[in-house]
Amino acid sequence: MQNDTILETIDPEIVDRLVSRRDAIRQGATVSSGVAAALALGSVPVALAVLSREAKAQTSTVLDVLNFALALEIFENEFYKAVLGTSSSAAQNTAFAPVRGLAGAVPTAVATLQQIQKHEAAHVATLMGAGATNVFSLTAASFDFTGNRGVGGPGPFAAATTDLAFLLTVAQGAEDTGVRAYKGQAGNLMSNTAVLETALRIHSVEARHASKIRRMRRIAAGAPDTVRFSGTVRGGGAGAAGATGSPSAAVVAAFGLIYAGEDNTNQGGVNILTLAGANFGTDAATEAFDEPLTRAQVVAIVQPFVIPTIA
Amino acid sequence: MSHRDNTIVISTSDQLLQAGTRRRFLQLMATGGAVVLLPSVFTACGGDSTGTDNRGQFDLNLSDDFGILNYAYALEQLEAAYYTAALTSPGFAALSTPEKEVLQDLQKHEVIHREFFKAVLGDRKIGTIGFNATTVGTLTASRSVLLSTSQLLEDTGVSAYNGAGKYLTSATNLLLAGKIVSVEARHAAAIRDIRDTTGRAFAGDDVVNAAGLDVKEEPANIIAAVGGLNVLTSPVRITTQPPTKAGTPNMPAPVPA
Repeated sequence: MQNDTILETIDPEIVDRLVSRRDAIRQGATVSSGVAAALALGSVPVALAVLSREAKAQTSTVLDVLNFALALEIFENEFYKAVLGTSSSAAQNTAFAPVRGLAGAVPTAVATLQQIQKHEAAHVATLMGAGATNVFSLTAASFDFTGNRGVGGPGPFAAATTDLAFLLTVAQGAEDTGVRAYKGQAGNLMSNTAVLETALRIHSVEARHASKIRRMRRIAAGAPDTVRFSGTVRGGGAGAAGATGSPSAAVVAAFGLIYAGEDNTNQGGVNILTLAGANFGTDAATEAFDEPLTRAQVVAIVQPFVIPTIA
Repeated sequence: MSHRDNTIVISTSDQLLQAGTRRRFLQLMATGGAVVLLPSVFTACGGDSTGTDNRGQFDLNLSDDFGILNYAYALEQLEAAYYTAALTSPGFAALSTPEKEVLQDLQKHEVIHREFFKAVLGDRKIGTIGFNATTVGTLTASRSVLLSTSQLLEDTGVSAYNGAGKYLTSATNLLLAGKIVSVEARHAAAIRDIRDTTGRAFAGDDVVNAAGLDVKEEPANIIAAVGGLNVLTSPVRITTQPPTKAGTPNMPAPVPA
């Protein structure tokens, strides 16, 4: 059939969508004005073309989110591999050797980092299986974990290679950024419920990671009690990181971006601070809800650690 | 799969506290099985029921966002009631100071979630669910059972939200659910970490599969599993299932250590 010939030249996923859209149209579903106009003109090929273009547009949105998520997962995976000394880049492994030795002296710390890295590697594979592409051609050598994009010497996060408390604070920031990034993109995946569910299931794993790292920091007796044993995020802005020591202005500014808006207490038009029967104050109100970040916010946070431009 | 493998028959409330029963309960979450509560369970606890017969107030029509949000509201009611009772329990008294901080935080967060859903649902909300004080008392009687039950509730919460997100049709509602599920995941990791000696249980292989994906379950199986806990004095029922939507393959269910 000629229709088959036409359809075979189109992406199979679009064909599926066309078939379901055709059924929907038969059932009286509304169609875009472009499709309706084509159908009114009696032009099935034109209607097909319009449907194809629309399907492609929707698919490209989902793919774009998947590609973005893949870049973040590659970043996280390469970070933990460098920490663990399993990076394909000898330079990365060498850089983190001092802090790796310190982690080795803390019972179960290495096991925790291995468990997290295992998940990040699995996320990379799962996203690629879902159709994501490494559009920025990221490799182990693409990252400057000191935060200087590989130019002008070590950046403000260089201490993560020698200071275990700081390394864990950075890891916490990376995990919380991941949680916030997925949360911010969920709405863009609603057209593909299988991909949406995959993203939601990655999202909650990142939250488990972030929680555990907060607990490690608090149990080590260095972190303030704003870093909750419950693994939740208290407040917003740089203070929500609970960084210890004397972080540089550049580090404080970076954490300010990572936790921007986490102190929101208005959810879906409901003021959590005035909820009858749940009057626990601002701290609990901010802990009880995690907040999203836009893609642009995430890029601003992550770009200093990535040598190629990822925007 | 045989009928026997797919159904738990519970005749006494004590059975709910046995590790084997709980393990089977959790396995059912992954396989879509049924939990059958024999009348003897309710007989044993009948005197402890509170409130009036609210049958009909807890029917969930999952065909729209209101139904899905009410489903979440029901789960948050369960969590909030459990942790509120837990704070005055012998199990709580036996916790260390850092462990108490976790339970106190969880209680606040879950009560906030409950009251939040109550507020956003307004006139569309289901009723206030009654809880079986005897069962809740038994499930908070020691440090061990308090922590294992808390882990079960938090992992179930993660699983429920992860499985229900695809049924929400409003991006606003999906975002609100997303803001809560990651907090439940933080809770689950914290409770798991308290019970752990390996450094891996916070996101253990029993809840995160080889694809790096966390637990998820469909509403029917969650509601059946929650019913199996025997903490509700009025059954929460699904009258209309959500429309069929593509999800992702399931994984072996969590098993409490």
